[in-house]
Amino acid sequence: MAAILQVQGVKKSYHLGKIAVPALCGVSFEVEEGEFLTIFGPSGSGKSTLLHLMGGLDRPDEGQILIDGVNILKLSDAKLAEMRLNKIGFVFQFFNLLPRLTALRNVELPLTIGGVSDEETTERAQQMLKLVGLEARGDHRPTELSGGEQQRVAIARALVTDPKAILADEPTGNLDTKTGWEIVQLMKKLNEEKGQTFIVITHDPHIADTADRIIHLKDGSVEAIKEAPRGNKR
Amino acid sequence: MKLSKILSMAMENLKQRKLRSSLTTLGVVIGITAIIGLASLGEGFRIEVRDRMQQGFELNNLTIIPGSLFAGLSRQRFSDGDLQNISKISGVQTATQVMQIGNVTLYNGNKTAQAFVATAVDFTQFVKVFEDRFEFDGDGPAEYKNDTIIIGYKVNHPNEEDTTPFAVAHDNVTVTLLAPEQLTPFYKLQNHTFNVGGTLQKKGTPGITNFDYWIFISLETGRTIYDTQESDLIFVRVNDPEQSERIAEDIEALFPPFRITILVPLTFIRQVDNILAIVQLFLTAIASISLFVAGVGIMNIMTVSVMERTREIGILKAIGAKARTVLGMFLAEAVLIGLIGSVIGLFTGYGLSYGLASLLSGFIQPQQNTTFQNPETPPLTITPVFSLEWTIAAFVFAVVICIVFGLYPATKASKLNPVEALRYE
Repeated sequence: MAAILQVQGVKKSYHLGKIAVPALCGVSFEVEEGEFLTIFGPSGSGKSTLLHLMGGLDRPDEGQILIDGVNILKLSDAKLAEMRLNKIGFVFQFFNLLPRLTALRNVELPLTIGGVSDEETTERAQQMLKLVGLEARGDHRPTELSGGEQQRVAIARALVTDPKAILADEPTGNLDTKTGWEIVQLMKKLNEEKGQTFIVITHDPHIADTADRIIHLKDGSVEAIKEAPRGNKR
Repeated sequence: MKLSKILSMAMENLKQRKLRSSLTTLGVVIGITAIIGLASLGEGFRIEVRDRMQQGFELNNLTIIPGSLFAGLSRQRFSDGDLQNISKISGVQTATQVMQIGNVTLYNGNKTAQAFVATAVDFTQFVKVFEDRFEFDGDGPAEYKNDTIIIGYKVNHPNEEDTTPFAVAHDNVTVTLLAPEQLTPFYKLQNHTFNVGGTLQKKGTPGITNFDYWIFISLETGRTIYDTQESDLIFVRVNDPEQSERIAEDIEALFPPFRITILVPLTFIRQVDNILAIVQLFLTAIASISLFVAGVGIMNIMTVSVMERTREIGILKAIGAKARTVLGMFLAEAVLIGLIGSVIGLFTGYGLSYGLASLLSGFIQPQQNTTFQNPETPPLTITPVFSLEWTIAAFVFAVVICIVFGLYPATKASKLNPVEALRYE
């Protein structure tokens, strides 16, 4: 299988005033197409920073990130935005839906930004809502949906552009255990049935263990990479 | 992202914050109302004044009076030579002289009438100068004779309710006038009899001459009665009103300095028109300030809005919106505020100008009937004039102001770092 995400010697520091705080100190790994990968580590280990870099939301200080073979350091801001639009889907801990838009409109948003025709946009968004089991809730606004439902809408939104990889930043962090588990199962199902690549950040070992591969991150470095502990690999 | 989508999303965002959006728009509405209202009112006022002046001062007629307002009271009257010299100036169509006789009483049988302005004129030339105003009730005289008298409408109809005129054509009327007694240095009231050649239609022209109050006898007769060859006024008709200022200069050059005064209607009108145009521009400029204030309001509200929507901007950028798209979305909101404000402001501006016009006319009306005012002058009514140019200019100005003041917050929004924006609480 081809690597669709390559992280090569990536370093990133944040500046608090004049003090540079290192978040990542030379991280390297690859993500293969169709993989369900979790990045596991305690808070402050640099998980979110890594995810932002992999999704092209930020640029590394050193090292390289290749999305589908393209070095994001060489892209302009506009090209990088296009890359995020077409090849990456994001799922966040706090769902990050636009509160004034209905579920359907939220799912449509990436296609609207991409300039896709109205009919196609609606049709594809409805398909995605069906895929996450929310076809009947399209007219509801986020405030009228439960946390689990909101996260499903967010997953549908991430899926709608048919991206190369979906990056999920603590997708269960704001949900109760049962609902969180349902979300993980949904992502697993999409991974298995659609072959959709998922990279999920978590600090929950149970969720981490559902992956094909777990990257253990500690203090900004890869501590270990573990392969399918429970025989998750297809 | 398609422009139509950007606009519809901007519209949704505005609707989302109804009170705030309407208050921001209100600023633009007030600005446009002030600009459109004052500009159209000013334009209406300017046109009303100009039309009125054009009616009052027939543009192709120059009036030459002896003496100068501030150069002493001694007035040397005009001679036939003066008239001939003026007639020779290029561009002069006709020049005619007028002798002023003053206030006279007329008798026709047992009817009397009073003429405030009795004049002796060279009928053939005079009629050429005032061809528009010398129109008769019924037929005019077949020919002007030495005993012909022409009677103005108000002299002939001193009482509006009384439909019987003082005289009709061919009546013989007696005129009592104060004239020098032959072979003595004394003046004495004398009776002279004239044959009515015609009576003039009501013209009621506002301005410096109103023939309704005049009577006319022939210049020859006037000169015989008063034993003089001089006259008091010269009227000049020019071919082209645009040339009237040049002709006036040529006429002035014929006389020593301050010997004559020439009333050139075009100069009056131009100066007044220029002044009014400046006043109009000044009013509009002041009104424009309110649009700037509205612009600052837009900037203020949008800056707050960008801060509030930081997270939303972060989401949009994370899912692939370009900086340009975010910029477009915020600018679209500013432009929509400008457009909506302009459309509403246009109507309220019309309303304001009509309201102010009737208010102003109300102020002007009670002062109309003064002794100095020609009673025939219609009441001053200002009708606001809405020009397409002003409307377009106001629209463009409003939208440009909104874009300029919206640019800072919109740029700020577009430059937000998505990671930081997503973290924003």
